[in-house]
Amino acid sequence: MTLGDAVEPLVHIKNFRMDFGETTVVKDLSFDVRAGETFGFLGSNGSGKTTTLRALLGIYQPTAGTLHIGGKVFEPRDGARLGYLPEERGLYKKEAVLDVMVYFGRLKGLSKHGARAWSQTYLERVGLADKAAVRLDKLSGGQQQKVQLGVTIMNGPDLLILDEPTKGFDPVNRRLLMDIIEEQKLAGATVIMVTHQMEEVERLCDRVILLKDGTARAYGTVAEVQDQFGGTVYRLGYEGILPASDLYDVVRDGDGHAELAPAVGADETAVLRELIGAGVAVRSFATARASLEEIFIQVYGEQHEMAEV
Amino acid sequence: MARTAFKQHNLGTVVGFEFMRTIKKRGFVIATLAIPVVFAIIFALVYASNSSTSANADAQKNSALTFTYTDASGLIPTALAQAAGGSVASDPGAALESVKKGSSEAYFAYPANPATEPVKVYGADKGMFENGKYEAVAKHLLVTAAQSKVNSPEVTAALSGEVKFDAETYRDGRASGGIGSVIPPLVFLVIFYVSMILLSNQMLNSTLEEKENRVTEMILTTLNPTTLVTGKIISLFAVGLLQITVFLAPIAAAYLLFRDSVALPDLDLSSLVFEPVPMITGALLLLGGFTLFTGVLVAIGAIMPTAKEAGTIFGPLMALIFVPFYAVSLIISDPEALIVQVFTYFPLTAPVTALLRNGFGTLGAVESAIVIAEVFIVGILILRLAVHLFRYGSIEYGRKLSIAGTFRRKELTAK
Repeated sequence: MTLGDAVEPLVHIKNFRMDFGETTVVKDLSFDVRAGETFGFLGSNGSGKTTTLRALLGIYQPTAGTLHIGGKVFEPRDGARLGYLPEERGLYKKEAVLDVMVYFGRLKGLSKHGARAWSQTYLERVGLADKAAVRLDKLSGGQQQKVQLGVTIMNGPDLLILDEPTKGFDPVNRRLLMDIIEEQKLAGATVIMVTHQMEEVERLCDRVILLKDGTARAYGTVAEVQDQFGGTVYRLGYEGILPASDLYDVVRDGDGHAELAPAVGADETAVLRELIGAGVAVRSFATARASLEEIFIQVYGEQHEMAEV
Repeated sequence: MARTAFKQHNLGTVVGFEFMRTIKKRGFVIATLAIPVVFAIIFALVYASNSSTSANADAQKNSALTFTYTDASGLIPTALAQAAGGSVASDPGAALESVKKGSSEAYFAYPANPATEPVKVYGADKGMFENGKYEAVAKHLLVTAAQSKVNSPEVTAALSGEVKFDAETYRDGRASGGIGSVIPPLVFLVIFYVSMILLSNQMLNSTLEEKENRVTEMILTTLNPTTLVTGKIISLFAVGLLQITVFLAPIAAAYLLFRDSVALPDLDLSSLVFEPVPMITGALLLLGGFTLFTGVLVAIGAIMPTAKEAGTIFGPLMALIFVPFYAVSLIISDPEALIVQVFTYFPLTAPVTALLRNGFGTLGAVESAIVIAEVFIVGILILRLAVHLFRYGSIEYGRKLSIAGTFRRKELTAK
């Protein structure tokens, strides 16, 4: 049975807990990833994302809970159907690019000829064809990243787990990476992506989970999370000075544009009346969902504020 | 990308990759080729020196030495001395003075009783090596004179110690092989020693490389760590065989082609006795010892964050492996001594001690069985521990691993 043939959900995590000594890094975490979807795994640094992925892949022994891929605990022999780009990047640095790619291709079940042919095509695509015989440590960080991404996807994985895939990429190469991920998705891969790039999440992800201090703060489709957590915001074009009010919080303000988060019970009419009554000349007014970035800042901003206090 | 059916053949892939990348390293090529090159240079120098020495010897033998002599013993026949270039000196003092002035090459003064008094040899200085011929001629003349007096080749041979002895010993009613039966099982000790010297550092670094390159996560999600470690061990063994072959090639070539010219010992291989029990015991001890030390070195590599830190343990460990060599005379002569017994059964000293005792025939059947079982069991346990440490410890990049910590996590999981 391949990973892709598994009964949905493809990834099932229930009541996962991870302790390192006296420190609890992840507390009672539960979520599913469905076959074929792109899943955003979000959270600030140290919130437990990488720990969860490592436990899912058997690199860490979980303290408690169930972590299944395709209905069972992951074993390395399932690696032929997995593509994992870890947060800690690294390959055999003193070996030639092509040798390393062929080696991993062989480990993932490709024939030597197949691995070589695939690697050469990939290197051509990412602009590294002339580096095939060069040692990895002679490449730049971004070039090494491209090689590692190639190693991750060369077996056409059913499940692709990418831990901060765009880290270290310039905007051009970030676009190239996103194109490659989209191709994998179109080819039927399930993608789990850890990232801090919220626009990428909104563009690529079907569902997301927001982790904070080892617990899930929000979970669902992007729209559900926006509704569940951020709710609606009012986008305003204006002249004058925005007054402080119990009816809203000013999320963003500048150059005659503002974003207001309405208080519970406040509606558009009440907010508009408040603004006009305070002498604000309203040029435009629209209702919108809060962006993931706004939700992220809202959720983790609390943490930073508390830390600062 | 097409999703295709896969067949995994990872052990062979790991062995091939590890073997090729090891032998392609410039340092390995230099280190491996340096030994045969040094051997070749030594053989060439020995060959050249031997040719020169042989030519000199021929020249010395053919060159006539003229000397004077006095013979208080009466043993030296005048005709014999004259044939060797000697003439009787009437005045010992004048003869010595002639040598000092350089007008005479040499003067020998044979005493009345050569058994108790030294023969005095005086000669013109011709350098350290040339000067030796005076004593050689004086001695040869005396020995030839004595032989002519005895007039019996048998007695002469017995007196001069030129008699061959052919010893035969028996064990359990059967002739034992003597030194010819000691050498073959000791070959396993030599192989163990050489493999440890050549490969131990690579064993230590084999898993450290995954940690230092941050490649562990990629590996652990692709490959069973047991397969990785096994593949590394097999490839190291293959690398060791290659190195030994390269080292031995010039020796074998020299032995087969230039044996006389390079002064190699004229080893009579037909005298070697390959007794099955010591050979099988030696092979098992070699294999068990190799397993044991490979496991220990891989485990150290899994615990330590860098090669530099691993090196602090490596030195004392290697000293411990070979410490039995310091007690080799005791191991051979008194196998029941307490220290020999400790060395025989302590896991880290057991392989070398048991291989030595096996070679010299002092390792009994029961002792052999116990030591073989011990090195295999301990070796396999340590290898399993090494795999466990790599599995759960190598992700601790840049940090020293807590062995207890890796087991504690497992216990918690089981709850």
